[in-house]
This record gives sequence, C-alpha cells and structure tokens, in this order.
Amino acid sequence: MIKISGVTHSFDGNIVLEDIDLELAEGEFAAIIGPNGAGKSTLIKLILGFLPLQSGSIEIDGVPHHLWLRQNPMGYLPQTEEFDRRFPATALDLVLLGLAGELRIGRRFSKSHRQKALEALETTKTAHLASQQLGGLSGGELQRVFLARAIVSDSKYLILDEPEASVDLPGVQSFFELLKELNSQGKTIVTISHDLNILTSYCSFLICLNRTLHCHTQTELVNAEIIQKTFGETVRLIEKEY
Amino acid sequence: MLGFLLHALFASVLSSLSLALFSPFVTLRKVSYLGEALSHIAFAGIALALLLGLHLQLVTLIFVVGVALAITWLSRRHQLQEANAITIFLSVSMALGIVLISLRRGYTFDLANYLFGNVLLASPGEIWQLGILSAVNLAFIIFFFKELFYLSYNADMAEFFRLPVRAVDRAFIILLAANIVITLRAAGIILVSAQLILPAATAFNLVRRLDQAVAVSALVAILAAVGGFALSWWLNLPTGANIVLLEFLLYLISLAFRPKRGS
Repeated sequence: MIKISGVTHSFDGNIVLEDIDLELAEGEFAAIIGPNGAGKSTLIKLILGFLPLQSGSIEIDGVPHHLWLRQNPMGYLPQTEEFDRRFPATALDLVLLGLAGELRIGRRFSKSHRQKALEALETTKTAHLASQQLGGLSGGELQRVFLARAIVSDSKYLILDEPEASVDLPGVQSFFELLKELNSQGKTIVTISHDLNILTSYCSFLICLNRTLHCHTQTELVNAEIIQKTFGETVRLIEKEY
Repeated sequence: MLGFLLHALFASVLSSLSLALFSPFVTLRKVSYLGEALSHIAFAGIALALLLGLHLQLVTLIFVVGVALAITWLSRRHQLQEANAITIFLSVSMALGIVLISLRRGYTFDLANYLFGNVLLASPGEIWQLGILSAVNLAFIIFFFKELFYLSYNADMAEFFRLPVRAVDRAFIILLAANIVITLRAAGIILVSAQLILPAATAFNLVRRLDQAVAVSALVAILAAVGGFALSWWLNLPTGANIVLLEFLLYLISLAFRPKRGS
C-alpha cells in the first residue's frame, strides 16, 4: 500500500501540491488526472524519491518511502528519458538496468539475469528487438522496452508518467491492454494520463489532482462534474477511435 | 642510447594508452570539456608547487583532484551549470597560475615541456608510474564496467535502479584527474585532451559495443604512439604532436566505416 499524508510541495515559493492525503491499496490500477501544472509529475517524483519531501510523509508498505526504495525494486516508466540516441546499448542492455540493483557493486549480470530480461521483453512483445541498438528503435518500441525494464525486477508496483505520450494511437490501446494484464497478475499500477477515454476503460481508481486533491475514488464514481472541477474549465470528452 | 629511446617509446605508448582507456567513457559522458579544463587547471597546480618548493606532481594532483571535485559539487549542490562551473575554474586557475609563476621571480622553468609534452624527459620512475596508471585504469574499467556503462547512459536512472553511481562517479573524476596529471609531462597540457577524445571518436565509428570501443581505443592509441614516436625519430618532430596528428588521421579513416544511422 502507498500512503501519502499531508504532503505539500513548492518550487521557488509556488505551491504545486497542497496537503495531499491519499491511500492506494494493493492491486489497484490507478490513474492520476489533472490539467498541465496540476502537480501530477511532482507527486510521482516525490513517491519515487526523485524530489525530497518538504512536508508530510510517504509510506510504502508501512515503511518510509526512501527506506523502502533503498531496499526494494520499483517499477517506473518515465515520460521521457534523457539519453544519447547513439549510445552503444541494445534493448537487452536497457532492460538489464532494471535488475542492476540486485547485484553487488562490480558484479556482472548472469545468464539467469539475461533470461529474465528476455522474458520481460517477451511480455512487452519486444523480444525480437533484444539485440537492436537503442538508436534504431521507434518511439513506441522504445516505450515497450522501457516498460520491460520497469517490470523485469518483479516489483509489486509500477508507476508510469504519461506512457501514451510517445506511442501512436493504435499503440495506446494495446499498451493499456498489456498494463491491464499486468494488473490482473497482481501488480499495483499508478499512471498519469491525459486520455480520459482510455482511463475510464482501463483504470479502477481515479485520482483527480489540481494542486489539491479533488477526488480519489473508484473510477465509476467519478462524474463529469468532478472532472470539470479538477480541470477548472469546461472539459469536452472526445470519443477517440483506436 | 637504446635505453633512452626505449624509455621514450614506453612513455609515449603508456601515456596514450592510459588516456585511451578512459576515452570512451569521457566521450559518452560528454565530459571531454572537463578533461580539457583539468589539463589547464593543472597549470595552477604546477605553479603552486614551484612557488612552495614542494613535490610538483603530488601538489598538482591534489590541486586538480580538489578542483575537479569542487566543480562536480558546485554544479550539483548549487545548480550551477557544469559548463559554467568548468569555465569559472578554468579561467581562475589559469589566472592563479600566471600570478604564482610571476611571484617566483628569477626562476627559469621550461613551461613548453608541460604545454606540449616531452617524452624524452621520461625517467624510469615516470615510466613505472604510467605503467601502474594504465593497469589501475584497466582494473577500474573491468571491475566497474556495469556501473560505468549505466552511469554513462543516464546517471539519474542508474541511481534510481539502485546502482551506487555517485561513488563510482567520484572515483571516475578522481582517476580522470590523476590520468591528466600523470600523463601531463609526456602528453602536454595542450595536447592531452585530444588523446582523451580521438581514440573513442574513432572507435565508435567502427564498433557498436562499449567493451569493444575500449579495446579499439586502446589499439588506436598504441598504433598512434608507436607511429608518432617513429616519425619523431626519423623526421626529428615533436612526439606528442605526432601522436595527436596520427590519431586524427585514424579518426578520418574511420569515418569511411561509420555505420549509417538507424542501421
């Protein structure tokens, strides 16, 4: 369980998150929605320990999150990842990074680590790309390889920051089908997304955020009024065809 | 005479090899500018040692390592852009070096040997130093290959996936500084950075894996060092400059074998 209590965060005096209290039960497929600048990425970065807590607390499985993160693998798929497209790494090398924390300093990956990484690539339907250089992968392929890295360590949690950002429209649905499958296998998933249609189809729990928490409840209990309040303006739900 | 020549040849090969082993990581991590700056920052260390009458190499090493760590600390803690931090320390160190050299009036010091390098001055002790440095570099790369690989890929993500990259990064910076200071007399302040970049730039035109790039960089450096030394013997030209020019020539040749993007 991820428990966030009284978290407030500001950048240069501007409050981005205010007094956030939130509990995420195990096995949920939760989505964080909100307009740009609502603090969605900040909340995720705080959970993942990329940003230091200024006030409040975050616990994962009853342990302060920074201690939990030091001892346990966490599945994470960033919105974008800064790297040189000509970096001499293959898709398999990238996935193996997800297992690096299991090894002592100076130790090499074993055959079983490579096998595990290949299985993760298979799960994300990218096993055929294992020996491909990163520079040769499309945005969608890269996103699936990043997902393989996020799940390879068998972390019970998977946190995603706008996973649909670099995937083409037909790819989004199959990507979320894959997430749904992972969720049905017991993984707790938290994702930021702007695609309300996709979220209502796949996510079981909705977190409406716009500096403060507007809702955190089962998806079917969220109505247009709450979403409109979260976004602070009129929201038009557009039916997309995938 | 033969012993003197062998000393110079060993000094050329070992100093080029030391720098070449680090070259792929310097290139991938885009810290070649730091390497260039540290070689110039060493000038202030040399001047400080001369003024105080202390061991030249030891004082320069402590000074350069200190400044290298200060640059990384400043850019991380105070969110000063690394390029700006490097430029500040580079300029201040050069200014400090000039002032310190000026304070030591009446002292004749052949700065040209440090600016352009002179392998002919290498003593047996210095050759041992260069040999040990190459061995330490190789051991460091082999032992920490995984950490260096992912540190070069993306330090933040490597840290997120619980790799101890900060400690390895600090060790990398200290060893980089040590490489620059120890190879300075053979490679030269002005030319040392070229030997930190060209071998890897050539290697990445030929191979696509980091371990292979380290091997090819080493090979490029050895070829250029032996060739550069031979040219300087036959044509009476400065060895350090010959090595850099030969490494550049190998780089130009390697461009013909560069794989097309995305292939």
